[in-house]
Amino acid sequence: MILVVDAHSGIPVYRQIVEQLRFQVSSGVLEPGDEIPSTRSLSAQLGINPMTISKAYALLESEGVLERRPGLPLVVRRQGRASERSSKLEQLEHALRPVAVKAKQMNVESSEAVEVFRRLLDEED
Amino acid sequence: MRSVFEARNLTKRFNGKTVLDGINLELKGPAIIGLLGRNGCGKTTLIRHITGLYLPNEGTATTFGTPSEKLGHAELVDIGFVPQEVQLLDWMTVEQHLEYVSSFYPEWDTGRQQQLLDSLELNIDDLVGNLSSGNLQKLAIILAVCHHPKFLLLDEPVSDLDPIVRSKLLQFLLEVLQEDEATILISSHVLRDVEKIVDHVICIDEGQVTADAVLDDLKENLVEWTVHSSAGNLPDVFSEAYILEQEISGRQARLVVRGNAGELESFCAAHSVEVTPRPLNLEDMFPWLLRGGWS
Repeated sequence: MILVVDAHSGIPVYRQIVEQLRFQVSSGVLEPGDEIPSTRSLSAQLGINPMTISKAYALLESEGVLERRPGLPLVVRRQGRASERSSKLEQLEHALRPVAVKAKQMNVESSEAVEVFRRLLDEED
Repeated sequence: MRSVFEARNLTKRFNGKTVLDGINLELKGPAIIGLLGRNGCGKTTLIRHITGLYLPNEGTATTFGTPSEKLGHAELVDIGFVPQEVQLLDWMTVEQHLEYVSSFYPEWDTGRQQQLLDSLELNIDDLVGNLSSGNLQKLAIILAVCHHPKFLLLDEPVSDLDPIVRSKLLQFLLEVLQEDEATILISSHVLRDVEKIVDHVICIDEGQVTADAVLDDLKENLVEWTVHSSAGNLPDVFSEAYILEQEISGRQARLVVRGNAGELESFCAAHSVEVTPRPLNLEDMFPWLLRGGWS
């Protein structure tokens, strides 16, 4: 599992881990049933405090993204279709918010802004 | 979490100058705690109270539940201390010094000693008197950790170390945290390093505790806002209580704000503006932490 965290960002590391794991689950990089590294090994891998990792894991567990099984590593939980979809849309909204702010600052019409977004989505890679 | 050190109304004076002024704080662990402050603010003085090198003029300092004037072998054997000014016995070799210090402790982990000698690249045959300041720091660290202390105090431990070694050391401290369930107090100016591994931050300025908080909470509560008005100039001043600093110019402003996302939405609505928030890291936050009120 690859996570990239920046301890010098103003964004708390646990939040960065939560967001990246949510994204990896939503994008299928992590699939239901996949095992998550232990707090200790991730701490060694990233060079960050294990309590930060525990915090992130606990949050993801309470959100239903990860699942704890007695005596075994944490795994990615199988999600219902509805909650999968709403999670993806929430993440998309979060990503688009700064763009919406910019559009408003430049007084771009919402229909034009949506058109730009549509074109970007339709672009061939 | 258990309490390893407590200061109550701790006051310490030297030659009429008050270095610690009625300090109240409690250190709990296992945890890694960053002790921050400008030069001469009282960090080293506080650390010396923890080991009983200094006694309070007023108030109390209690380590492992024992007041500083009663600290003895029973408590000291569980403490590891890396001082800012490393003073070791010049005429010994590294190996001899390690052997000498190990004799003070009931148990000494020679496996850990070797692991550190290798990873920090220290030569056991070198004479302590000939070691560079960086190598002296490395030795001081090894001397402080091989007895598996429950409470590890590091006073500016990385200032003379190169980035590769610093990184290894910080990684090692994380191991100490997990293996020994130790409470680690690290006082350092190198905020970038401290930021990577601490969970809790204590800031001292002019003998007072100005911040005593979880690092993540501080990061979430201290933010810089870039304010943009699409509709005319901004007011001359914003009077919201949570604004710590403001710089306004025409239709734009830069604010430093204490608080969270809730205020942002109502601010935007109240002033018909858009705000781009930028979270602040420890180095950005430092001047604000010195001003107090972060507990």
